[in-house]
Amino acid sequence: MRQKWILQAMLLGAVFFLAVLIIKPIGVSTQFSVLSGIVHSTIDPNVITVDESIDSGYRSTNAYYDKSEGKLAKSIKHPINYDFVFVLAIPLGAYLAHLLRRKKTNTQNTHEEVYSEPIPELPKVKGNFWRTYAPSFLGGFIILFGARMADGCTSGHMMSGMMQGSVSGYIFAAAVFLTAIPTAIIVEKLSLRKVGK
Amino acid sequence: MRILLAIILGGLFGFALHFAEASNPKKITQMLRLQDLSLMKIIVFAIGFASTLLFFADLVGIFDISHLSIKGVHLGVILGGLIFGIGFGSVGSCPGTCVAASTGDGFKKALATVLGGLVGAFVFSISYGWFKDLGLFSVMDLGKLTLFSISDEFPSLFSMGFIGLLITGVLFMAIAVLLPTNPSFGNSTVTETKQTDIGDL
Repeated sequence: MRQKWILQAMLLGAVFFLAVLIIKPIGVSTQFSVLSGIVHSTIDPNVITVDESIDSGYRSTNAYYDKSEGKLAKSIKHPINYDFVFVLAIPLGAYLAHLLRRKKTNTQNTHEEVYSEPIPELPKVKGNFWRTYAPSFLGGFIILFGARMADGCTSGHMMSGMMQGSVSGYIFAAAVFLTAIPTAIIVEKLSLRKVGK
Repeated sequence: MRILLAIILGGLFGFALHFAEASNPKKITQMLRLQDLSLMKIIVFAIGFASTLLFFADLVGIFDISHLSIKGVHLGVILGGLIFGIGFGSVGSCPGTCVAASTGDGFKKALATVLGGLVGAFVFSISYGWFKDLGLFSVMDLGKLTLFSISDEFPSLFSMGFIGLLITGVLFMAIAVLLPTNPSFGNSTVTETKQTDIGDL
């Protein structure tokens, strides 16, 4: 069991390698822009319009969707493409792993392998919906806002980027850990104080 | 065919994230508090392993370099990374892992993160023009710079080609092996968080 991490790392690394070998490097955060763009263009159909004169065939009044010859505008109008389906398939694989782990822990009962409850640090406040989910929502907001500004996330910039020797991947990783480490430590201190320990 | 590959590769990615426990926010925050670096070891080793495989794939001639995709360097990468880190550190989740965690344990919080992420991405989409006018993406613009000359398409710092990926790959894997799982300086608060993986102590 001691060397299990190498197995986990090799599987993760192999998936990143396979993706770039067969199609292209893995990236996730762009698809958040695509999905929110789908909602946006459904509510306001005029934001993306057909324009046969450019490569993608779509123009947008929004500068971001219109960037790189309307690349994002096209993805928003045609979401059944490799990148979007790739992200939709992530929970399927994760669920499979979840079921497998559960089966394993039930049959073998190895206590050290029992999957621990996620985010147990925050005290459980019964019935307080906002207190439970608002931090996760706000966190997600900050994460994706930052990821889109940097043009990539942990998958696209850090893993795929550094794997290819991309300088931006190294810069992104350094910037992320510069704020993530102090934030994680401060958040824990604050939450412990709240519990009164 | 591409759609089928998307389902297979995306599924594999989700499986690997969950298998590595990267989709568990607790694992991420413990890593960031420098209490349990097992996930850090996994990430660093995975990057090194993938780099090394890339070198060998190129060596035997099965790698199509048009599949490479390098992102540009500009001020937005730094500023975005700093902002990303605040969210990453406070909820212990990132775009890939919160999608992966939206099934199974803790899925409600993961879904809240995904929803927040969609709103965050949308707010960025509508403010992009403003940031662009401020020069966020043109300051410190070094283009799609790579460390090693792996493709003529991208400027590079060193002209050693794919052998550079082998060197960094082996280096990353070695660092991952040498990295301690439980660094002693982070132990003060470990007891508070009910550790389940004390096998290495």
